[in-house]
Amino acid sequence: MTVSMRPKYLFKVPVNARNISPDAFASQTIDKIKKFEVWEGNKKRTLGELFEITGESGETPKETSIQVTGDLRRVKRIGEAMTEGEITIEGNVGMHLGEKMKGGTITVTGDVGSWLGAMMKGGTITVKGNVGDYVGAAYRGSMKGMMGGAIIIYGNAGNEVGCFMRKGLIKIYGSAGQFVGIHMHNGTIFVQGDTEGRAGASIIDGKIVILGNAASVLPSFTFDDVKKKVKVDGEEILGPFYSFTGDLVEKGNGKLYVAKAKNQHLDFYEKYL
Amino acid sequence: MPIVKNVTCPICGTFCDDIELTVKKNKVVDVKNACAMGEAKFLNYSDPHHRNLNPLIRRNGTLVETSWTEAIKKSAKILAEASYPLLYGWSSTCCEAISAGIELAEEIGGVIDNTSSVCHGPSILSIQDVGISTCTLGQIRHRADLIIYWGSDPYSAHPRHLERYTAFTEGRFQPSEWKRYVSRLRGVIGKKKLERASQLALMEEFSVPPITGNQFPPTLETEKERKLIVIDARRTHSAEFADYFVQVEPNKDYELLQAMRMLVKNEELEVEKVAGVPVGVLEKIVDVMIGCKFGVLFFGVGLTMSSGKLRNIDAALALTRDLNFATKFVIMPMRGHFNVTGANMVSIWQTGYPFSVDFSQGFPFYNPGETSAVDILSRDESDAALVIASDPVANFPRVAAQNLVKNPLIVIDPEKSATALMADVVLPSTFVGIEAEGIAYRMDGVPLPLKRVVKPPKGLLSDEEILRRILREVRKLKRSQRRSNA
Repeated sequence: MTVSMRPKYLFKVPVNARNISPDAFASQTIDKIKKFEVWEGNKKRTLGELFEITGESGETPKETSIQVTGDLRRVKRIGEAMTEGEITIEGNVGMHLGEKMKGGTITVTGDVGSWLGAMMKGGTITVKGNVGDYVGAAYRGSMKGMMGGAIIIYGNAGNEVGCFMRKGLIKIYGSAGQFVGIHMHNGTIFVQGDTEGRAGASIIDGKIVILGNAASVLPSFTFDDVKKKVKVDGEEILGPFYSFTGDLVEKGNGKLYVAKAKNQHLDFYEKYL
Repeated sequence: MPIVKNVTCPICGTFCDDIELTVKKNKVVDVKNACAMGEAKFLNYSDPHHRNLNPLIRRNGTLVETSWTEAIKKSAKILAEASYPLLYGWSSTCCEAISAGIELAEEIGGVIDNTSSVCHGPSILSIQDVGISTCTLGQIRHRADLIIYWGSDPYSAHPRHLERYTAFTEGRFQPSEWKRYVSRLRGVIGKKKLERASQLALMEEFSVPPITGNQFPPTLETEKERKLIVIDARRTHSAEFADYFVQVEPNKDYELLQAMRMLVKNEELEVEKVAGVPVGVLEKIVDVMIGCKFGVLFFGVGLTMSSGKLRNIDAALALTRDLNFATKFVIMPMRGHFNVTGANMVSIWQTGYPFSVDFSQGFPFYNPGETSAVDILSRDESDAALVIASDPVANFPRVAAQNLVKNPLIVIDPEKSATALMADVVLPSTFVGIEAEGIAYRMDGVPLPLKRVVKPPKGLLSDEEILRRILREVRKLKRSQRRSNA
């Protein structure tokens, strides 16, 4: 059962639409959904005032799928804390997409703002475009980032991917910014493209794999070995990889694997072999 | 002529409180004890070329004089009708005005942000993540025997910081290091004379070994007196005063800080150089840090706004924490404006958050990056703005400034700033600390009173009074709106 939505106009101010979620839509008629409360800046509106809504919702969240088409770059918090069901977004979307999500799937064809899947506990988010900063991170001041589930990004990601991550998987097929996996406690991050350096800063545990150029490895990491291949989510990735352990300033035991092919500037570590 | 003593200086975060002003015919004619910046402000603030003396309103593209009633009504209407108004500035006014501003932000459901979001905002985010070990400047003055400035040039930005609180002040338990500085200066002058004389005598290039080169001075580890170390990407003026200057490669501060933490924790570094500093030198610096009795690390915008931003401060705060296992060490941000700390304090006690507070849904919400002024403006999300005691048009990134002036803009400022020239409504205020009283917080969080030394020009109101009037007008508008809805 699919509910289709389309914004009536290009929003000028941020729209807080935490009600766009299969959990809220399930077993509701379209008329009732149109009366759901949203915030457009500091004005209280209804979903029907901002979106054209058609289709039918399912009996349970699992049977409900939501399809939103259009430019949603100022719409925040879609799919917040959703437990089941499906959201498909055709176009760009704003911040906090799938924040605290517990299950279900979100698919985006365009770009996504920052805090994608922040503090999520389960489910899958797939993004075809680029993503802002703080993918799978924690709220300001919190020490608990992503705690489960998977985020797959086919474009590029910004800074501080997986900040304070506790569990789960983040796969980036493009490149990523600085501080990949900062303060990570566990989980796996894979970056196929380049990063801007400082990967794994202050990590305690977990695994970070970088296939592209890593720019730099922090002095607080110790060199272990050169490994032929690394496993990411059951899949074998061929190297060879420089393997580091850190972050020693936090007495961490995290693993950082950096592909040898694109990181010739790190070959001085081989003298420690 | 009456002399007003113990005046606080409304310029930088050092917030000196020993200024003496001579006032003649309601005008400041002489300034004692202030630095060049303070003196310039006290003597020239009333220059009519730089000052608005009447409320202005934009009609057919030009700013024209208007009455206070009309200007306040127009401002209230803009703010009450806006869906996502932004209230920005606050760091160069008193706490009473900031308090009224937060009330206004809550009433109109806007975002209130102070200038710390573009200077020490990252420091605050890190302090919330890591925690801070700090103290007041008085403690540092009397006890600190190791002073480090990182990414900060106090000689240029906080001119009296060195002489009032750190290296060149005579503390109760720590003598000033000015004698060592003078002897070093004499050495440098002697070296220059020797070089010149030998060039004249030998008719060829002749070089004497440098007095203050980049070699680590061997006496620094054993020195009992106050020591000054400056760490920066370039050799600043303050570096000339330092016992040792460490030049870090630009944007590599994070690596250097983490390497220092490694050494403090007795871990071995596998690289030979970190951020351009040889590991051998780094070990000696860390030895000096561990060996001191009371160390202090002052950090400036060079650390908060270079690559890594809040994570640089994370590392600096963690380094201080680690050093406290071996000795007493504190850390302090070098706040810029005289009341930027006060803006954070008032915001914390009224909303729970220090800056970038969003009231759009009726409750305070805080997420710098999402609710900070530059980010909101760069994404073009706001639809009206009020700027007070700040000049974002001159300082913000171009896109942000363009989006700011595109929407209705209200400016409360005593001066004709670039932002005021682009505004739709200009509400001229009095200079707090000269023409109006108030409270402001020094960089270490000590509140001090701002004095009124001269009478303001006729018809001008204080920042607080203007904001209270707008607030009253907004409440009146909202009441009539509610009545018409009912």
